[in-house]
Amino acid sequence: MVLVLLPCAALVLYPLVFIISESLNVGDPGVFPPEIISLSNFARLKDDVPIILNTLYVSVAATAMAVVFGFVLAWILTRTNVPGGGRFERLMELPYYMTPLVGAMAWGVLAGPKTGLLNQVWHLTGATGDLFNIYSPLGIAWVMALFEGTVAFVMISAAMKSMDPSLEESARVLGGSKLRTAFGITLPLVAPGVLSAIVFVFAEMLGAFAAAFVLGIPGRFYVITTAIWESTQSFPPDYGTAAALGLSLFLAMTVTLTIARLIMRKGTYATITGKAFRPRPVNVGAGRWLCLAVVMAYLLVAVILPIGALLMTSFQKFATVILAQSIFTLDNYRTALATGTLGSAFVNSMILGVSVATIGVLVMGVLTWIIYRSRLPGRTAIEYVLMFPQAVPRLVFGLGLLWAWINIPIPIYGTLWLLGIAYFTVFLPLGLRTLAGVVLQVDRSLEECACVCGAGWMHRMRTVSLPLLRPGIAAAWLLIFIASIRELGASIFLMGPQSKVISPAIINAWLSASSELSAAMAMLLTATIFIAVIVLFGVARTFVRTDA
Amino acid sequence: MSGTPSIEIDGLCVAYGDAVAVDRVAFSIQQGELATLLGPSGCGKTTTLRAIAGLEDPTTGVIRLNGDTVFDSARRINVPAERRGLSMVFQSYAIWPHMTVAENVAYGLKVRRRPRAEIDSNVKRALDLVQMSAFGDRPASKLSGGQQQRVAVARAIAFSPSVLLFDEPLSNLDAKLRTEMRVELRELQQRLEITSVYVTHDQEEALAISDHVIVMNQGRIEQIDAPEVLYNRPASLFVADFVGAANLIEGTVRQTGPVSVFETRGGQVLRVATPRSVTGSETILALRSSHVSLQTEPSAAAGDANVATGTVHRRMFHGDFVQYVIDWPAGQLLVRRPPTEMIAEGAAVSIMFLPEHCVLLGR
Repeated sequence: MVLVLLPCAALVLYPLVFIISESLNVGDPGVFPPEIISLSNFARLKDDVPIILNTLYVSVAATAMAVVFGFVLAWILTRTNVPGGGRFERLMELPYYMTPLVGAMAWGVLAGPKTGLLNQVWHLTGATGDLFNIYSPLGIAWVMALFEGTVAFVMISAAMKSMDPSLEESARVLGGSKLRTAFGITLPLVAPGVLSAIVFVFAEMLGAFAAAFVLGIPGRFYVITTAIWESTQSFPPDYGTAAALGLSLFLAMTVTLTIARLIMRKGTYATITGKAFRPRPVNVGAGRWLCLAVVMAYLLVAVILPIGALLMTSFQKFATVILAQSIFTLDNYRTALATGTLGSAFVNSMILGVSVATIGVLVMGVLTWIIYRSRLPGRTAIEYVLMFPQAVPRLVFGLGLLWAWINIPIPIYGTLWLLGIAYFTVFLPLGLRTLAGVVLQVDRSLEECACVCGAGWMHRMRTVSLPLLRPGIAAAWLLIFIASIRELGASIFLMGPQSKVISPAIINAWLSASSELSAAMAMLLTATIFIAVIVLFGVARTFVRTDA
Repeated sequence: MSGTPSIEIDGLCVAYGDAVAVDRVAFSIQQGELATLLGPSGCGKTTTLRAIAGLEDPTTGVIRLNGDTVFDSARRINVPAERRGLSMVFQSYAIWPHMTVAENVAYGLKVRRRPRAEIDSNVKRALDLVQMSAFGDRPASKLSGGQQQRVAVARAIAFSPSVLLFDEPLSNLDAKLRTEMRVELRELQQRLEITSVYVTHDQEEALAISDHVIVMNQGRIEQIDAPEVLYNRPASLFVADFVGAANLIEGTVRQTGPVSVFETRGGQVLRVATPRSVTGSETILALRSSHVSLQTEPSAAAGDANVATGTVHRRMFHGDFVQYVIDWPAGQLLVRRPPTEMIAEGAAVSIMFLPEHCVLLGR
């Protein structure tokens, strides 16, 4: 067991050591351990106060929007008799799977100044000026809220669903009106869930990169993550500042995530019993059509419009879509799939996705088993270490990995191996959480019974444990696969000329101003992800069925 | 029956860090017997059972099955669960949802690589015994609670284990099904003459199906006895209180002897005849509520019976019995009578019970 645990813990902790040492390094940035150590990198952070304020502004705005969207949608879909009901629930997760990168580019096409499709339609009505300029701090926050804030919906609807309906019913029976029950009982009971969603989403927004990158850089509007990237691109690269910024961001995220966890643990009343309730929906009368309209509007701005815009752009001959004079072509897809560097980026991502998911599920399965089923001393500490990458912004982690592996005499820098190792490390929390949920769902006595019946460990695994875990393992595999092919933050530092992957390649195409090509690539990425998502939802459904 | 007991436990302790779940437990069970581990939740009964099965590692102690040592802390013997050759019915039934009923039942036989024909005939026999032969091809996930319970039993007996363990097997069934299954389980166990250990927190169930009941409290054994002895002669205050409905009357022993004299707090003097020696320091007299009879007209003193007078404070009709709360000199007395004798609330009654139904206990 130690043979599996130690390398995994090292994978997580080793890059962090490099970030810390680099942040203190004021000598030659390429020398480890640093020759001259000082805190001056941190002292210089005071010059970055405007950037920190930018970050806070965007993060607060994005969190506010995401939580409002999440709360309204969660309430409509879990607590009202909206037509269609629960069938919309999974669709709400689609924007997250579409990725903030694709979302940001799509909204760039939709609401860019002058040429944005929505602005063009606005001009057709005779209006002057732009309806909306997405290349603005609020525009960035809007995209982040739509494509990075899905977690708010997931967390809040989980809180609303886990509430025992009898708590509300007893308030009604004791004479409380609908409104009084909503404010006196329902709201206080879901408040901890909402509060922890706010804090959790805020931490997520602090570490967000793609939207600020696509929509902020053209107007030289920087947040911490894009500033980190920028300082590594200058000549000579200012790694000290990047590391100091990264470490500060990491600390801020750790603190916020700890607060979120504390709220969750301390603040939740006995509403979370582990039992899945389906609270009785409130009859909102004709208001249900309004509710349906809200849900549809959300799907329109978060899924339909962005995909439509990108689809249209991807068939264009010229970068800018002028509605009146567009020329359609399939060339962009031909280029994207051609066996040049771009084509290989797509293939590389697939290779990485499949192998990281396969090896990841195997190793993480063993880890999960050690953490949740064995009696190994110190297993909670192990869990804590392995969950660490959750609190480290991808970009910062990528930076640490970059330095860590450059300074190891194994020549894997610039190869897919390094990307594979990086993906495995940053997806440890995702994989462990998914697999743990599966393992904990399978009652221990099912395995114990096989044991008492005389089956040895191998036989038990083959005939009982693995068949029962299969749907959950498949779900974990798909989630890691999806996460791998959409990965951006860590890949952007670690990919080399011979090891291009799809998301950074899309960014490169976008930066070289060929939005029609990047749109085609984004469509390919989105299509692949959606196929995986459909399979995932199918698997999840069979899992629910065998569970019951 | 004599010879080597089927199950022997000695000095068994199970501790998790500082928390001692099972504390120096020792007992033995003869071949073909059914013994019940009875106690409130957290008393260590399930932990003891799981230690016998090999699912829990004891801290110290010895466990022998049919004379073979399967656990001995001093000799560092710990045979893994799958090689102890026993079988178990789990509280959650643990029916594998991805197999059919027949596949579930055949599991233990397949693991033992029995020939195909033998597997088929044993599965059929086991399913017949629990009246589930019509369900062999059903997916196991499509069964009701009671059916799952039967399949779990069939699976446990299919490979003819030498010892069968039951971990609260009936606790998830509704009351009526529970009493039916209780009879069936006992009949099955006696027909197969299979040595069984049965864990339950339901004292009625324990009394009904056991050859011997082992009462546990806070990790220790309080008493091991046949059900009727346990009921009539509880050895401790805990047993008197936990098993059956008992009145615990406080007072002091005035005189010891073959027939002792006990004076209750209210000054009521009672005679106690007990086979156990009385030390004189006992402060509690335990009296089963169904060992008391009530009469509305004053009764002539019948031999050496204890007689007192009281009034009916409250009457509760339970169907199978009527429960009275009687005010009498020693406080309040719970009395259970058959529904054929109905006495109105407020009526004066004469109370009578025999000295041999009184048990003296210390704190």
